[in-house]
Amino acid sequence: MTIVRKLVPYVIAIIASFAAAGIFIALTGANVFQAYETILFTSFRTPNGFVQTLLKFIPLTLQALAFTIPLTAGKFNMGGEGQMIVGAIAASVVGILGADLPAVILLPLVVLAGVAAGAIWGFIPAWLLYKFNINEILTSMLLNFVSFQIIDLVATGALRDPVAGHPTTVQIGQGGFLPMLIKNPPLNAGLILALLVAAGVYLYTTRTTGGYELVATGANPRAAAVFGINVKRMFVFSIVLAGAIAGLSGVIEVAGVQHRLIVGLQHNFLVLGVIIALISRGNNLAVPFVAFFIAILEIGASAMQRTMNVPIEMVFIVEALVLLFVLLSDVFRRR
Amino acid sequence: MESLVTFLRLTLLSMVPFVLAAQGTMLGGRTGVFNVAQEGIMLVGASLGFIGSYLAGGSTLVGIAAAVLVGGIFGLALAYFTTTLKMNQFVIGLSLLFIGTGLSTLIPKLVIGVTLSQPLIPTLQDLPIPLLSQIPFLGTVLFSHNILVYFAIVLSIGLWYFLFRTQLGLELRSVGENPNAADSLGINTSKHRYMTAIIGGMLIGLAGAYLPMVYTGTFTEGMVKGRGWLTIALTFFAGWSPLPVLYGSLFFAGIEVASYRFQAGGIAIPYQYLLMVPYLATILVMMFTFRKTRVPGFLGNNYDREKRSL
Repeated sequence: MTIVRKLVPYVIAIIASFAAAGIFIALTGANVFQAYETILFTSFRTPNGFVQTLLKFIPLTLQALAFTIPLTAGKFNMGGEGQMIVGAIAASVVGILGADLPAVILLPLVVLAGVAAGAIWGFIPAWLLYKFNINEILTSMLLNFVSFQIIDLVATGALRDPVAGHPTTVQIGQGGFLPMLIKNPPLNAGLILALLVAAGVYLYTTRTTGGYELVATGANPRAAAVFGINVKRMFVFSIVLAGAIAGLSGVIEVAGVQHRLIVGLQHNFLVLGVIIALISRGNNLAVPFVAFFIAILEIGASAMQRTMNVPIEMVFIVEALVLLFVLLSDVFRRR
Repeated sequence: MESLVTFLRLTLLSMVPFVLAAQGTMLGGRTGVFNVAQEGIMLVGASLGFIGSYLAGGSTLVGIAAAVLVGGIFGLALAYFTTTLKMNQFVIGLSLLFIGTGLSTLIPKLVIGVTLSQPLIPTLQDLPIPLLSQIPFLGTVLFSHNILVYFAIVLSIGLWYFLFRTQLGLELRSVGENPNAADSLGINTSKHRYMTAIIGGMLIGLAGAYLPMVYTGTFTEGMVKGRGWLTIALTFFAGWSPLPVLYGSLFFAGIEVASYRFQAGGIAIPYQYLLMVPYLATILVMMFTFRKTRVPGFLGNNYDREKRSL
């Protein structure tokens, strides 16, 4: 019963935002119901559509977790994008330089390099917060813009693939590829990694002492400090952990999907990740489910743009509206 | 000498979006409303400024009006959700940021459609001030700019006078420092928060419109390029005061111009390093100034008079 009652605001939010977007879609002259159908069911029509949805689901889940973990401690990590990019860069540089190594050695190196790079990229705003008390929203966001230049530098530098038109590096060594769960359509083992991370984060925040300290810090930092929790260290830890997870999402894009570094591989995963995290209200258990829903919308949106000529941003507005309506439902519940 | 004149002139020209957006942010912050949606509001301001001007046959005035209006609507939304509904300012700010970003690309696609070559709008004309613009050096650097450059300077001085020399300005600042005390003196805290958030939003929208209207003549996706975020940093280390915001904008604009000039100058560093400079410089400056700057006491919080403690 309680779970049904919890879902009610979500259902209302989804219906309301679809209705709002329907008006815009009608304005473009497209058939509204056909558009809805395309958005919601493209993922389930073909095996390829479903696998594409899962491939979106992986980075979306990880990006959302990279936001919810610091949020639990009351901090906002807006640097998931940069952390993903440096993770992807480190993974591909290691994958290219160690191309001759066997998979047993190369694959763990690729993954570790990416995760570590993401963690380091997260450590910078965390350290600035710890040491200088600088607002982490700002620094983590600014570092994204720095990472855009770094990826451009790497993809147009010595490792560049000369035949590719778009800035891209050469392929990483075969040993650095993530194993495939399904060959055709290709689905990589990143899915398992993402699910493991999601489960791990959930267990950590709800079942362990460290996770409890994180929650306590977010709930009331002053009270937490009184009870002997090093609040500032929790801030740092949460953002570094988030960076590592975002870095992993970069690793999976490189080692699982593209097998090379491509400028622009971050898409808009950060923004969608934040939307997912906020729709989940920071609840780590809800994150994978919301992420899957958003992945369906994203796949549907690109199909809608292809077949019906309705701009893909339409669905982005739907997602932002769902978020706004879910947030509003909190207000009305309080009354 | 010649290149110094050009550099200073361009710095003043590029200062405007920073000044307008940061004054808007500052104004809201002075009553405790912390806007983090600058990037989105600037994008939608740029987009609608371009569309408005394009649809009106190249009328700058219509474009500016459209950008100011949409900025005001975003400011109103921020004020309503945070002040009336008392929702978390960062979360609402992020939501507005996303909506603004989405709308900024959606609207041109709906109105203009996808075209091979981007349509162009006329850019703002320079308005040299008679006599003053004849002064050697200073005339070129200071007195022959488009109207928004002058507006940005006058606005900054006007805001300083308003906030620190008038009764209303004092009341407004008290809302951002201690709304409880302000409320007990009969100051309408909600009204002040709405007013500053709306006017602040308008200024941020106008800051966005400056980009297509002065730099490019057209709207391109993501053309704000982090200036909205840099603005927040700027407002912080200007101590939420109008005049330091003006000086700080010069610094930001100087870095921006320098990084582009170096790039065009064909210096043998990959251009990507130069494009990183504004963001890295901002972080560095924050390291040295952040602790010393003053911040409105109630910044980022929502006031609920029915709650006993803050």
